[in-house]
Amino acid sequence: MGGFDGSPAGPKAGGGELRLSRRNAIAGAAAGVGVAMAGSGSAAAGLQGQLTYAVHISLAPTWFDPAETSGLVTPYMLLYAMHDAVAKPMPGSQLAPALAESWSVSPDGRVYDFTLREGVKFHNGEPVTADDVKFSFERYRGSSAAVFKSRVASIEIPDPRHVRTTLKQPWPDFLMFYASTTGAGWIVPRKYAEKVGEDGFKKAPVGAGPYKFVSFNPGVELVLEAFDQYWRKPPQVKRLVLKVIPDESTRLAALKRGEVDIAYSLRGELAEEVVRTEGLTLKPVVIDSPFWLYFPDQWNVKSPWHDVRVRQAAALALDMKAINDALTLGYSRLTNSMFPDSFDFYWQPPPMVYDPDKAKKLLAEAGHPNGFDAGEYFCDISYANLGETVVDNLQAVGIRARLRPSERAAFIQGISDKIYKDIVQIGSGAFGNVATRFQSWIVKGGPYVYGSYPQIDELYAAQAAELDRGRRTEILHKMQKLVHELAVVAPLWQLAFINGQGARVGESSFGKIAGFPYTAPYEDQTLKST
Amino acid sequence: MNMRATAIALPSRIAGFRLGDFPIFPALILGGILFVAIFADWLSPHDPQLGSLRLRFRPPVFQAGGSWEHVLGTDHLGRDVLSRLIYGARVSVVVGFTAVVVAGVLGTVLGIVSGYLGRWVDQVIMRITDTWLALPALTFAIFLAAIVGPSEMNIVIILGAVYWTRYARVVRSEVLSMKEREFVRLAIVAGCSKWTIMRRHILPNVLNSAIVLGTLMLGVVVVAEASLSFLGVGVPPPKPAWGLMLSDGKKGLMVGYWWLTVLPGLCIMLMVLSANLLGDWLRDKLDPQLRQL
Amino acid sequence: MRRFVTKRLGYAVLSLFLLSLTIFLLVRVTGDPAALMAEPGASAEQLAAIRKNLGLDQPLWIQYGSFMANFLTGDLGHSFYYNAPVLDLYAARLPYSLLLAAVAMAFSLLIGIPSGILAAVRVGTMWDGAGKVFALLGLSMPSFWIGLVMILFFSVYLGWLPSSGAGTPLHVIMPAFALGWYFAAAHMRLTRSSMLDVLGSEYVKLARLKGLPESLVVAKHAFKNALIPVITLAGINLVIMINVAVVVETVFAWPGIGRLLYEGISFRDFPLVQGIVLLGGSMIVVVNLLVDILYAVVDPRIRLEA
Repeated sequence: MGGFDGSPAGPKAGGGELRLSRRNAIAGAAAGVGVAMAGSGSAAAGLQGQLTYAVHISLAPTWFDPAETSGLVTPYMLLYAMHDAVAKPMPGSQLAPALAESWSVSPDGRVYDFTLREGVKFHNGEPVTADDVKFSFERYRGSSAAVFKSRVASIEIPDPRHVRTTLKQPWPDFLMFYASTTGAGWIVPRKYAEKVGEDGFKKAPVGAGPYKFVSFNPGVELVLEAFDQYWRKPPQVKRLVLKVIPDESTRLAALKRGEVDIAYSLRGELAEEVVRTEGLTLKPVVIDSPFWLYFPDQWNVKSPWHDVRVRQAAALALDMKAINDALTLGYSRLTNSMFPDSFDFYWQPPPMVYDPDKAKKLLAEAGHPNGFDAGEYFCDISYANLGETVVDNLQAVGIRARLRPSERAAFIQGISDKIYKDIVQIGSGAFGNVATRFQSWIVKGGPYVYGSYPQIDELYAAQAAELDRGRRTEILHKMQKLVHELAVVAPLWQLAFINGQGARVGESSFGKIAGFPYTAPYEDQTLKST
Repeated sequence: MNMRATAIALPSRIAGFRLGDFPIFPALILGGILFVAIFADWLSPHDPQLGSLRLRFRPPVFQAGGSWEHVLGTDHLGRDVLSRLIYGARVSVVVGFTAVVVAGVLGTVLGIVSGYLGRWVDQVIMRITDTWLALPALTFAIFLAAIVGPSEMNIVIILGAVYWTRYARVVRSEVLSMKEREFVRLAIVAGCSKWTIMRRHILPNVLNSAIVLGTLMLGVVVVAEASLSFLGVGVPPPKPAWGLMLSDGKKGLMVGYWWLTVLPGLCIMLMVLSANLLGDWLRDKLDPQLRQL
Repeated sequence: MRRFVTKRLGYAVLSLFLLSLTIFLLVRVTGDPAALMAEPGASAEQLAAIRKNLGLDQPLWIQYGSFMANFLTGDLGHSFYYNAPVLDLYAARLPYSLLLAAVAMAFSLLIGIPSGILAAVRVGTMWDGAGKVFALLGLSMPSFWIGLVMILFFSVYLGWLPSSGAGTPLHVIMPAFALGWYFAAAHMRLTRSSMLDVLGSEYVKLARLKGLPESLVVAKHAFKNALIPVITLAGINLVIMINVAVVVETVFAWPGIGRLLYEGISFRDFPLVQGIVLLGGSMIVVVNLLVDILYAVVDPRIRLEA
């Protein structure tokens, strides 16, 4: 399942142009005044049958439409509520059948046959048919659209319950891309979507998920209502209200007062307060977002980072247990790997070691008995806390670096423009598997790769061509071992996304789907009966 | 009494001071802050940037769990609050004063030029200040921080670039009324060049307004720095700045770690209040006409 | 008079033009929104495709041209992030900003005017200082701090007021107070010096000579005349408040324009930022223009000067 980038997800590629008449805008403003005076559409959290959320980022309408997803996890907060897919990550399985009750792959790996579930309906009563599946696939225009176009030869509909997808060449990762990495496998109704158009769809989305769209006040609040005919089970909670509260202290205040039942993303001492408060429960979720230190200068012969002992020393200097306890109450996972442990082809490295004396010894051996000036430590300002503690640790063994936090947008740009040096603290929640991560971060030619190791590059080419899953796994494990031995990076942790839940909540669905930060499946949620 | 202040040279004005209602406390406070900022290295009990995670969130000594080792407690990374407050004074003073000076110099010069030379120069500069004012200060600062990246030096430049317009407008209106005065006309008749007049006759007389405005802007700048830190684009960690401490500690407010915000907040409040009271007094003394401040 | 108005109008248009150019260029220097919208690891072609979609691949002057042309027809562009017309988003949030600003202004005047009068009437005494300090406190504390402390007290400890969001009259009290207190100082100062002026004027001296009681002098004669400049300043500050409220809006999750703008900058949402800044700037320019004209109508010397 995809991961989480830890901070406000970026916007998605825009759709078509919308022209709204000025009259509508003025009418909107007048209505707005009325709303501001009279009160918003949501009822108090105390109302029976309603679950209220405090959400940490501004909800964007592009998240109502599976056709526009990029590789980040945040839109899925809403996709799981309003839509359904051919197959998707569910409790216990990264690829569980949903709208498709089964599928088969031809022996040559090029033809996928899906059999759709009988009797499933969209929110507007229309049945879910193979035609809608084909339509949703062709409609998808997220960032992997080009990849699909180049690899999929055709989609046929032998009958309303069967879909046959034919690939140009065998592509072992096809199902992963189709069902979990992108929204192409999430199904929307063709007739409705064509009738209302792109922008009409985003204003009033219709899907096959457990909740129906009721209203949306951009950047403020989203209201959803249960869809009783959801195929898996009718939701127990009648209404969902998602309020946008960007400041985390305010989110906690709202949770404490009972104004909301669930608050996303409460960090550090706020999480400690949840633990201490009667009636509130802490809900940490380890997400597919590992953090690590990258050393862009290790291929530069003149840089101290060129020596593997220096890099190993940096890794040994990190007291990640203390940092984990302090910043994320011990809930983050110290996997010692830069790859998410729930990903396909994951190899578990030996456990992390904290040994500052050995670090100093290694530095001395490498020619730095009194440490050295390590330059600058770049990070995203939302994770400056982590940066501060790591820089402290490095300082204690003599690796002296200056913290340089940047605003998120500037940081992302800096990484992709490759202007950073010395040490970069990176965290990535992008979807995919171990191979896709290698492609982005380690292997030659990748968008964030400053340099590479030929042995790893060769192995990468080998696994890309390998059709046998067992052999492919072996190769990818070997590659990860090399990353570990060569200390290409110094892994930090796999981040725990910490949430709070109030006394009214029975089952919140936190943590049911491995690596997913938000509450899903929504249809499993319950409220405590009063 | 409401005497119209005449534009006489500065020295005579000083002679007319009465120290009767001089705001002692504000001056002492500002002086104290300056003292702390200069002698921080000797006054501070600990290194402000070194902390130990095991010592996180220790309360001040007079509360249960506190100790004399960290008189005012520790923050989320175990760093001593008192030391950070002391060094923070330095940052606030440096950032505050420098930004005020940058804005002041830029604004005063442009204000004089604009007011005295008039016509198209005036129009161009006035349109630019109009534009600047239409861009809210904080927003503009966020912009600039997004472009150049947050750092102490950049914050000074950003704040200077945002606030020079206040000076320009005030100085310009001063200059406009000054242009008609006797001593300026005499200077023109005497054959002084435009630049000489601006430099030797106009400038000393607008200094009053500039200085008064400067003390008032000091407060604005210090508070702005705090707000910028709250929005994530202020003086970057781990350097101790009061605004940053306030912003870092705001989560602590909800959970009872009051000293993380109340203490730096008090420091900011004292500094700004003192600067404002001093500035108000200065204005009353030097030129009660500066009503628009 | 017509010459005056035409000249001022010309300057207003020029200011707006400068503003639009400034914001257009400034926003494009902040970075590349495509990198933010694509998934991490997107290829150069994918980024280029996104840029083309957003219209960013065209030469700058064409982009600017279409931006201005659209602006003149009332179309403020299409937000990258929200995928909706900027005008719609602005119109939806404007009522909230106006409400907040209006209530904040009320608080501001409620604090500023009485303390200003008190300080003026009892000039030089302890009351003068006390009045000043109370108003100045609002200027001395960052508004997010005031906001969080209020949430802590009135919302969490006392439970009297809701902590955030909008919807009932109770919701607006705390954010309006936090915002208004900041401006109270300016109003206090102006009231104080304005009152001092009027109290020292010939008109008031005459009233005193006539033997009228001091309180009557203050209440009837001084007060009204002193208020005129304060009201003018309040009008201008109202417009500024709308733009400055971003910190208060973030703390209280108030759905106003300030927060919309800040998020737009964070997401590098060019059309949103351009549209909001230009609209906000236009409001300020228009208000300034009206004030100028009003003054000129009242005081003939001003229009002759132009």
